[in-house]
Amino acid sequence: MSRTDADGWGARVERRVGRTREFVEETDPGALVVVGLAMGSLLAAFAGFLLAAAWTVVPLGVFVVTTVYGWLRHQALVARAVTFAMTTVTIVTLGLIVVFIFVEAVPAFRYESATVFGVSVPGLGMFVQTRWDAVSDPVRYSLVPMIHGTVTVTIIATLVAGPLGVAAALFSAEIAPPTVREFVKPGIEVLAGIPSIVYGFIGFTIINPWASEEFALNGGSTYLFVGIVVGLMALPTVVSVAEDALTSVPDSMKDGSLALGATDWQSMTSITLPAAFSGVSAAVLLGVGRAIGETMAATVMLAGVQRLPEPLTNVFYGYETLTSLIAANYGNASGVQESALFAAGVVLFVTVLALSIASQYIEARMRRRLGGAE
Amino acid sequence: MSRATESVLVREGRSGYEAVTASAVGLSGLAFAVGLVALLDIVAIDAPVAGVGLSAALGATLLVLGLAVVGFGAASRLDYVGTAPQPSAGVVAAGAFTIVWFTAAVLVAGAVGITGVVGLVVALAVGGVAFAVTAFPREDVGSTLPAGAMAVLGGLALATGLVGPGWEWELVAYNATLFGDTAVPVVAMTASLLTGWAAAKSYGGFGARGRNVGAYVLIYLVVLSILAVLVGLLAFVTIRGLPGLFNGFAVGGEGLVRWPFLTNGAGLLADTAGVFPALVGTIWLVVGAVVFAVPTGVGAAVFLSEYAEQGRFTQVVEVATNGLWSTPSIVFGLFGAAFLIPRFGNQKSLIAGMLTLGFMLLPLVLITSREAILAVPDEYRDASAALGVSKWETVRSVVLPAAIPGITTGVILGVGRIAGETAPILLTTGGGVLPTKTAAASVLGGFQLSASPPFVTNPELLQATSALPYQLYALITAGLSGNIEDPQQFAWGLALTLLLVVLAFYAVGIATRYYFRRKLHQ
Repeated sequence: MSRTDADGWGARVERRVGRTREFVEETDPGALVVVGLAMGSLLAAFAGFLLAAAWTVVPLGVFVVTTVYGWLRHQALVARAVTFAMTTVTIVTLGLIVVFIFVEAVPAFRYESATVFGVSVPGLGMFVQTRWDAVSDPVRYSLVPMIHGTVTVTIIATLVAGPLGVAAALFSAEIAPPTVREFVKPGIEVLAGIPSIVYGFIGFTIINPWASEEFALNGGSTYLFVGIVVGLMALPTVVSVAEDALTSVPDSMKDGSLALGATDWQSMTSITLPAAFSGVSAAVLLGVGRAIGETMAATVMLAGVQRLPEPLTNVFYGYETLTSLIAANYGNASGVQESALFAAGVVLFVTVLALSIASQYIEARMRRRLGGAE
Repeated sequence: MSRATESVLVREGRSGYEAVTASAVGLSGLAFAVGLVALLDIVAIDAPVAGVGLSAALGATLLVLGLAVVGFGAASRLDYVGTAPQPSAGVVAAGAFTIVWFTAAVLVAGAVGITGVVGLVVALAVGGVAFAVTAFPREDVGSTLPAGAMAVLGGLALATGLVGPGWEWELVAYNATLFGDTAVPVVAMTASLLTGWAAAKSYGGFGARGRNVGAYVLIYLVVLSILAVLVGLLAFVTIRGLPGLFNGFAVGGEGLVRWPFLTNGAGLLADTAGVFPALVGTIWLVVGAVVFAVPTGVGAAVFLSEYAEQGRFTQVVEVATNGLWSTPSIVFGLFGAAFLIPRFGNQKSLIAGMLTLGFMLLPLVLITSREAILAVPDEYRDASAALGVSKWETVRSVVLPAAIPGITTGVILGVGRIAGETAPILLTTGGGVLPTKTAAASVLGGFQLSASPPFVTNPELLQATSALPYQLYALITAGLSGNIEDPQQFAWGLALTLLLVVLAFYAVGIATRYYFRRKLHQ
């Protein structure tokens, strides 16, 4: 990666070409034709699907026929080509998500342009004013109230999931006797398996009325309890990722500390946790990402009104988050309003992707520091 | 090191101290549990306990606990018992006590009417004092005095009825009111948590061992609470859902078992409303997602771990996979709505939902399959290669069979996860609130041949259909009402059905893992 000069590039391309030629010369020409035909028709089918063409089925059929034929005659090469095509699916999917939600969001970004220093910046209007009203004039699509809701819920959820998750991970990785761990680990997995709509249903039928009575509220939707429920849902993510990080600390490090007469807790706080610190923080980051993206519990429990609470720190009232905005309004919306929902999706997607990449970077750094423990 | 030996020697004469501190830990745990039960409105705070209200009894308990904890610290400081305290309780404890005392001061100041800057200054001062009291004296005083004092204050407030049944504090700016019903349990739980920790530290004789005990008490409490929440949730949904699920259930008669909730739709003709169309919809969604995602994910995992050279390409795939894994489900829904719906007849359809869930399942399958394939020891591959077997033959007949257990577990757990997803199918599959039995998708019988492209069509796949999580959402948005006998009972039965379907996948997945692990260790 250090050689970015023209020479290095040239040499590398030459090597690549050379290797490809070698590969082509060595391989049976019949197999090459079959694989080429299969891959070509797959590409054509994909292009046809993108263009929503009715004839997409023809290249798809060609692909299936050539692959089946190739599988019988030249299995090794076909398997390699097909698995390669499957590998690209993840990248293509991510690319398609980016393109499609961005394209759909463009009209809303155009509509909500704002002028800074004489330059019109598309989309800025969504963040510098606080009015969302799709019906009465002036029609504006500010995302600020929803971003405020998402941030509030995420902070509360992180306060729940972070400390509890790290404590539970420490328990599961370091403290628990083996028999207890056999119960705790599946238990936490099952917690991850409870569908979010079930949480939402309990929140809607039990927690909301309870909160309304307990605090004499005007309606039962609160950011406080949505945050706690979402925190509970993000908890398993934090526990399992943090536990992986803690167990990846080599035993030799802990044993050294224990051999010096340190207590278990001392070796945890002065050896294991510092060594696994990046992994544990990556776990919390991933938990934050889960909390930001959590949809159904928020949609069902929140009031579904696009406004800011008064004062801003009022967690006893809950109006709308980015996710609940999309879930509750998609289908009834059209035109610019629908596009504004995609804009909310863009904000969500970009934020969570950034968190994911950040946590991957942190984890990679930790793995390098521990000397390739993987 | 000399201190450690000393503490071991002195511990001989400490059994009375240990017994008292241990019972203080137990009493704190009891107070915490009672507070929790009261917070959940299972018992009222004015329920009679030994002649007084529960609130006053809790107050008295806290008072005793607080004084006891201060006593533990004093006994250690005055060398009545042999302990091994360190010079200071440490910055972490000091920071924690600062936050606790600051918060308490803000709340008390607000409740007695000191608000604004004055209240904040008072609270900051209180927090500062708490920091100093924790950080500067020796550890035995520093970690007991702030905890005990908090419990004494809270206990006094509850025991004297200053805060108790009928107490209320209107938060005007927040348009909310705090009542004794909430305040008493919260005070009791906070104070008992502090005394429990401090008593546990005293039990361990402070120092390294004391900290060990104190931290373990807190961690065990956290894990117990998480498991309690889990068991509570499952039990609650089960108890609420059973009447709905078994409504009209009968064994015998025509057919072996009559289970109308699972075999009926919700139309006028059905004697008991059921969730059959949604159940069928969920099954088809899962089948479709698996058919798309499992071969793709496993193939990609094979390529990544067996063929690809570690480099830029694998790195990009890894980032993309993890990115997809953490992408919010609602964004997948938006993507399905924008990308798939226009390509499948411009309406919500079963196949759009299948593919959207497939996209969500893909990263889960890929990550777990890759881990499973990487876990196959290299010796297997080397041995196979040494016999002259080609690369692909090795992958097919050595690596994949060895990795199958891990792949299966991962796939089952992933399927359990997507089976309960609502957000993506909300935007892509839709369906009615209370569909009749005829609305259930019959995919197998729906294939038709035609002369024009795409030659094979299946209208069943191109229609909106219901699914268990979607129907629950639709019922909630309809305000839990509808043209059926008891919508509440129906909805709880539906929630239980959904939970059982998802947990069945988890149970099978976890059981598979244990089965294969047992086999591996034999």
